[in-house]
Amino acid sequence: MSMTTDIKKGLAINFKNGTWLVVEAQFVNPGKGGAFTRAKIRNLKSNQVIEYTFKAGESVEEAEVNRRRAQYMYNDGATFYFMDNDSYEQFSLPSDIIGNDKRFLIDGIECYAMHIDGVPTSIELPPKMDFKVITTTPGIKGDTATGGSKDATIETGATIKVPLFIKEGEIIKINTEDGSYVSKAN
Amino acid sequence: MRKKAKTTVQTFENTNWINLRNDKMIYDKQTAIQRNALTKSLRFFFEKEKFLEVETPIMVKIPGMEPHLNIFETDLIIRSKKIKLFLNHSPELQMKKLLGANFGNIFTITKTFRNGEIGGNLHNPEFTMLEWYRINADYKDLMKDCEKLVKKLAGKNEIIYQNKKISLKTPWEKFSCEELFQKYCKISLDQNRTFKQLKKIAEEKNFDTNFCKDWDDIFFKIFLNHIEPHLGKETPTFVYDYPSTQAALAKKSSKNPFFAERFELYIGGIEIANAYSELTDAKEQKTRLIEEQKLRKKLKKTIFDIDGEFLASLESIQQSCAGIALGVDRLFMILMDKKNIEETLLFPLNKILN
Repeated sequence: MSMTTDIKKGLAINFKNGTWLVVEAQFVNPGKGGAFTRAKIRNLKSNQVIEYTFKAGESVEEAEVNRRRAQYMYNDGATFYFMDNDSYEQFSLPSDIIGNDKRFLIDGIECYAMHIDGVPTSIELPPKMDFKVITTTPGIKGDTATGGSKDATIETGATIKVPLFIKEGEIIKINTEDGSYVSKAN
Repeated sequence: MRKKAKTTVQTFENTNWINLRNDKMIYDKQTAIQRNALTKSLRFFFEKEKFLEVETPIMVKIPGMEPHLNIFETDLIIRSKKIKLFLNHSPELQMKKLLGANFGNIFTITKTFRNGEIGGNLHNPEFTMLEWYRINADYKDLMKDCEKLVKKLAGKNEIIYQNKKISLKTPWEKFSCEELFQKYCKISLDQNRTFKQLKKIAEEKNFDTNFCKDWDDIFFKIFLNHIEPHLGKETPTFVYDYPSTQAALAKKSSKNPFFAERFELYIGGIEIANAYSELTDAKEQKTRLIEEQKLRKKLKKTIFDIDGEFLASLESIQQSCAGIALGVDRLFMILMDKKNIEETLLFPLNKILN
């Protein structure tokens, strides 16, 4: 067990009798007070997400979590199946654990599986991923009535907002956390 | 329907922005147009209320003493001589100097700077602050200003922020800090005025006080975890009468000097504004500034001089007065239903972290 004072995104901690992954950590400075870190943490077993505010500089116990590369294979609606990249062992996770990440899962895509005590408990997508645009309307130059954006459907079937200059067939980078467009992929 | 005042200024409330929100783009011109309309509306509002707009400096020799803030520093170089200057974290001291010079009701819209405040949805190290000061007024008058201003800008009695309805019907809800601690934690602040007392009762009630080094730390740890999440959800909320230790520039409450006449405004769970009935007693102000200077030293922060000109100005303020600072970017976030402050700025500094 080790202690850390740096509560940051991606860190796994032992807290309130559970193992949690820090999904979001932001600076808070209450008016006239010292610095605090407001964290959104996800329980790696139940997938419950809570918010907790730590005092800046507060030590927390780092959890032993293995992040192993895995590949998504398929799902049957209720269960999602993956394969460990090193051991080639298959494992599955229930749909509600996958949550919103579903929209970016496509056969063969690589992600991380979080293992606690050797058991895969959840997955984590790379923060930014590249996807091909399958359908979108052609952008009209100078069209500002729509705020400079339009809908595009990517290869996973998810629909996201993109700038007008994006064309069908192009590869774009997406922020997997909030599903927003980042840039064209190089 | 009420008739709108005749004006050629395109105001925030009559701009068609409904179909434009939620478009997160780089250099989003539509958002910029809305932002511009907001700024115009703010000016129009205060002009109508007979306030004088004043300009305040970005660089100052002596910034405010707030113990916990980290301030940007720079050097003015005259030949080989260096003079240390700071980027202002609030125009407060300058505004009060003008009150002392008998300027009457004044407001300013200016950039302010806070080092280290980056990351997350609500901070950018430079941000736009609106400050206004009313003479012959106290903090309750500023609550009324807030109600009137936000309602006017929204142009309706209800807004939707992040899928939640917020009613703007006045009067908005008001809770004192004491009431909130009683309500959500069954703790009286007033009866637990020392660090030892507050720590004891908080631990008895199973509140986490880890790494809290003083009374205010415990206050904030409990406030942030167990009280703040409830605030400003269905209607905007005023939290008022903060402990005096957290209100160095405010007048102490005449009812109970353990608390000071300060309030914060929360909308949709977000802290939008901070206001005081201003302390105009120069002697007491000097004592409090010395205390804060000591605290800055203890916290290993840059030490500033005490601004003598500011203290002298306080002495010449004749009437009671009240002042408020409101985060314009955050207000814009709420009115435009944006989740992240980045979306309200054309050039957010957060981007450099990615």
